[in-house]
Amino acid sequence: MNRQASHKWLWIDPRTKILLLLICVIAAAMAPNLTYEMGLVLLIACFALASGKVRLAIGGAIGYAFFYAISMFVMVYASETLQASLLAFLGLVHKIYLCGFMGGIIISTTKISEFLSAMNKLHAPKSLTIPLAIMLRYIPTIQEDWHFIKDAMRLRDVSPSLEGILFRPAMTLECIYAPLLMAASKASDELSIASVTRGIENPLSRTCYVDIRFHFTDVLVVVCFLAYVVIGRFL
Amino acid sequence: MDTQKKGLTVKDLVTTGIFSALLYIATQIGGIPFGMNPATTFYIPVGAAILAGPIYLLLIAKVPKRGPLTIAGILLGIIYFVMGMHWAMDLGIVIGGILGDIIAGSKEYRNVKANIAAYAVQCLGFTGSYIVFEIDPKAWAASMLESGNATEGYLDTMMSAYSPMTLVLMFGGTIIVAALSGWAGKKLLVKQFEKAGITA
Repeated sequence: MNRQASHKWLWIDPRTKILLLLICVIAAAMAPNLTYEMGLVLLIACFALASGKVRLAIGGAIGYAFFYAISMFVMVYASETLQASLLAFLGLVHKIYLCGFMGGIIISTTKISEFLSAMNKLHAPKSLTIPLAIMLRYIPTIQEDWHFIKDAMRLRDVSPSLEGILFRPAMTLECIYAPLLMAASKASDELSIASVTRGIENPLSRTCYVDIRFHFTDVLVVVCFLAYVVIGRFL
Repeated sequence: MDTQKKGLTVKDLVTTGIFSALLYIATQIGGIPFGMNPATTFYIPVGAAILAGPIYLLLIAKVPKRGPLTIAGILLGIIYFVMGMHWAMDLGIVIGGILGDIIAGSKEYRNVKANIAAYAVQCLGFTGSYIVFEIDPKAWAASMLESGNATEGYLDTMMSAYSPMTLVLMFGGTIIVAALSGWAGKKLLVKQFEKAGITA
């Protein structure tokens, strides 16, 4: 009953989300044409909307529409040589965008405790799931740290740009690495203390406030995505 | 207390996770500029090796035990697979992680040269998909097209940019760049992090 109270948006099992991500990787790999991929992006955006990530859904869809428009434009109007080099690059963008979009939604809608509980139910080894959860959580933090470091570097007259790296490489690189790695090891100390305090070392099986089970909605979402993949096979 | 004999603590696991995130970002930033252009795609491993050296060495220095390097390799393999890279590259990264762990472990994770060698091996893991390419270029191209990793134009340009020399450059370049990056990492380690007392 907890999930009805605490989630007014669509909520699905983290294990289902991993399955969805795999389906997306397969669908992106087998996509017959760009319009099909655009449809897949819209489907993912709908999934994001249902999960309550309105801004992410709209931004992701618009971003993809932008690449879609460029690709179409290049295919019709660009000269032969420009087409060859641009399409090669755009082709890669199209494949990676889908997985990145889906991955971003999944990461932003899954709480760490839910993820760990679901992994525990899958009997995945803790020595792999804990670093994985931490890694996924820490990637956005790196971006944040990077902005702070850049500001601090400007204050001290070190240019955090390509120019700085070319002309004063040792100094510039040191000014990037030292705070970045220092922050990382501080964060690892703090996070491990926090997680030990909350009993991550408890040898008993994990319990979770949220009810982690497969529900009807899980089946529904997976069927939607699978149906889309199957349709793609027959296009 | 002898922490060396105990297995991995939660703190080690958390550290491994955070440094894997940094390794992923660093290899990504280094590799992407090469991956965008079909003519330079063979040098992705070289690019990936540029930035991550200090991070890898600090990870070894913080957790000098058996395991973290393997875990980092597996995590990188997983995340690159999800991002849609060729399966052989992902497998190569995982194998590179395991071999790196063995190499650094042979000197108890304390020998700088062994640690840098481990880093070079980890970076060579990124060449996985090109080793498969070398064995059978036709099948490789077919699987790249099928898995949607590349378009025909990309593959054509890539094929024309390929020669046996490329492979030598790729392996040699990766090892040299990894060694340089590792050497810079070692300097940084001595100058900054050992003084600050954040190494184990």
